[in-house]
Amino acid sequence: MRSQAFSDHYRSLFDNMVDGLAFCQMIFDAKEQPTDWIYLEVNKNFEKLTGLKKIVGKKATEVIPEIASSNPELFEIYGRVSLTAKPESFETYVEPLRRWFLVSVYSPKKNFFVAIFTNITSQKQTDQELKNARIAAQNVLEDLSIEKSELEIARAKEEAILLSIGEGLMAADENGNVTVINESAQNMLGFTSQELMRKPWTEVVQMKDEKGNQILKEKRPITMASSQATAIASSIYYYVRKDKTKFPVAINVTPVKLEGKIIGVIEVFRDITRETEIDKAKSEFVSLASHQLRTPLSAIKWYSKMLLDEEVGKMTKKQKEYLEEIHSGNERMVSLVNALLSVSRIELGTFAIVPNKVNLVAVCKEVIEGVKENIEHRGLYVKEEFKKVLDIEADPNYIRIIFQNLITNAIKYTPEKGIITITISENKTDLIISVKDTGYGIPEKAKKMIFTKLFRADNIVTKDTNGTGLGLYITKAIIEQAANGKIWFESEENKGTTFFVSLPKIGMIKREGVKGLYYDSNCK
Amino acid sequence: MIQIASDKKILVIEDDKSLRNAIVEKLMHNEFKTVGAEDGEKGIQLSLEWKPDLVVLDLLMPKMDGITVLKGLRTNFGKELPVIILTNVEPDDKMISDIIEYQPTYYFVKSDIELDKLVTHIRETLKLDDSQTAGRSS
Repeated sequence: MRSQAFSDHYRSLFDNMVDGLAFCQMIFDAKEQPTDWIYLEVNKNFEKLTGLKKIVGKKATEVIPEIASSNPELFEIYGRVSLTAKPESFETYVEPLRRWFLVSVYSPKKNFFVAIFTNITSQKQTDQELKNARIAAQNVLEDLSIEKSELEIARAKEEAILLSIGEGLMAADENGNVTVINESAQNMLGFTSQELMRKPWTEVVQMKDEKGNQILKEKRPITMASSQATAIASSIYYYVRKDKTKFPVAINVTPVKLEGKIIGVIEVFRDITRETEIDKAKSEFVSLASHQLRTPLSAIKWYSKMLLDEEVGKMTKKQKEYLEEIHSGNERMVSLVNALLSVSRIELGTFAIVPNKVNLVAVCKEVIEGVKENIEHRGLYVKEEFKKVLDIEADPNYIRIIFQNLITNAIKYTPEKGIITITISENKTDLIISVKDTGYGIPEKAKKMIFTKLFRADNIVTKDTNGTGLGLYITKAIIEQAANGKIWFESEENKGTTFFVSLPKIGMIKREGVKGLYYDSNCK
Repeated sequence: MIQIASDKKILVIEDDKSLRNAIVEKLMHNEFKTVGAEDGEKGIQLSLEWKPDLVVLDLLMPKMDGITVLKGLRTNFGKELPVIILTNVEPDDKMISDIIEYQPTYYFVKSDIELDKLVTHIRETLKLDDSQTAGRSS
C-alpha cells in the first residue's frame, strides 16, 4: 500500500508540475552513436509546452521529423547523459516548434533519460528586444555625434566668416558686456580681444561727437537699442581708439530677442573716414562751383542794372528794353544756380535744420504779403481759411520755402481773375496745408513727373518761361527729409490744382550742416 | 552834425577785377570816396594808411582769405569799424562761426543783391542824412 501512495504522490507531481517532463529511451546505432529516442512517458505540460500530442511509444524522428537536422545537439546531449549518467542543463531553440527551451537532463538508468524543460521563448524574445534596442540606441548615438560634429563644423565656418569680415562686429549681453568681438573691430580700435571680451563696451570704447564731446552711456547706440528707444542719428559719431585718436563710424545696432525678452545687442560698425572725406570733397566742390558760376552772374547783374538805371549815360527806350532782357535772363540763371546748389545739398544730405517755434499762419501771411504785387498784377483773388493751430518746431526758412513754392506756383499757373484758396488745419497727428487754384491744371501724363528735377509740364512751359523746374523737387525733399511729412496733389487740366502738405506735429529735428537751402520766388 | 556821403571813405577789398570795379564805381556814383584793393594783404595795408570809414570785404580770395582780413581789421580797428561781407561762397557752419566771432556788420550774397541795396545799407550803417541814392531802380 505504501508504494501505491508514493506512486500516487509522484503521479500527482508528474501531472501537475509546471515544467514539461519526458521519460525516454535512447536508441543507438551499430557504432554506438545516438540516433533517436522513444518517448516512454510524458506529462500533461509536455503537451502544452511542445504542442505535441499522443507521442508515447513513438520515436522522436517520427514525432518531429526535422529534429535531427534542426537540433542535432539534443541527440548528442541525450545520448551522452544516458550513457554517462552525468546530468546536464542547456538552452536550445527548436526550429520546428519555433520555441526556446531550457532543458535539464538526467539519467535514471543506463540508456534511459529524463528531460525536464521550460519554454523560455518569451524571455528570449525580451532578451533579443533588449539587444535590438541597445543596437538602435547605439545607432542613434552615432548619428547624433555625426550631426553634432557637422553642426560644429558649420558653426566654426560661420564664426570664421564673421570674425574675418571687414566690418567691426561686436555682440554684447543685456548688461552691455562684450560677448563677441571680431578681428576687424580689434584692429580698428587698437584693443586686443582680452581687453574687450566680457568688459563693458561703453566704458572701454569711448564715443565722441563732431565737436569732441563725449557721448554718455545713455545716449550710446547700444544702450538705446537694448532699451528699445529709437536713436535718431543725425550727427557723425567717432570711436576713440586705444591711442586716443578718433575716427568717424557708421553704426548699425540691433537688439537680440529671445522669447520676447532682450538678451543682448549686436553691433556692426564701419570706419567711414574715406566716405566722409569724399562727401566733404563733394560738398566743397559744389560750394566752389557755385562760387565760380555766381561771379560772372554778379558782374552781369550789376553792370546791366547800372546801364539800365542810366548811371553812366542816357539810354534809348530800345536800349533799355534790351538791357532789361539781359538783366532778367541773368536773373533766371542766378535762380537756377541757387536751386542747383539746394538740390546738391539735398542729395548730399548736408543741409542744416535749425528748428524754432513756428506759427504756420504767420509765415503764410508773410509770404502772401511778399507776393501781393504779383497777385494784384494778375488780377487774382486769394482766400484764406486758417484754423487756429499750435506752433510747430520747425526751421522757419523751410516752412517759408514750402509756402513760397506752392503759392507762387498757384499764382504763376492761374490765369486772370482766378481764385487761390489757402487752408491751414490739423488732424490728430499732423498739421495740414492746402493750396488750391483755378488754373491750368496738370495734364494726366505729366502727373507722375511733377516732383522730378527740372520737369515742367507742356501746358505751362509755353505760358511761363520763368521757372527752374526744381521748386517742387526741393519742396518735396524738405517736407520728407526735414519734417517727415507728405506732399500730394489733385488736379484736372483747365480746372485747377490743389496741393496738400501734411507735417507731423512732432516737428523737425535739429541737424548740422552747410547752411540752408535756397528757394527763389522770382516770378513776374 | 550832418553826415554826407562825400565825407566818407570806403575801402573795397575784392579780388575779381570786374566786380571790384562795379562796386567802386557804384559807390562813386553815390559820392562816396572809394578805393579798391585786389587782395587781403593790400587791403590791410590800405586800411592802415587810409583809415576808411567802412570796409566792403569779399570772403574767397587768394593769398589771404576774407576771414583772416576781418580778424586783422578787428585787431587794428576794433568793433567800431563797420565791415560788410560780400561773397558768393556758401559758408559752412565752421566758417559761419568764425565769421560771427569777428563781428562783421552784415553779410550779402553778391548774385542775390542789386548794388542799390548795398548802397542803402551802407548809408544806414554810416547813419547818413541825405537819402538820395544815385540811379534808383525804375
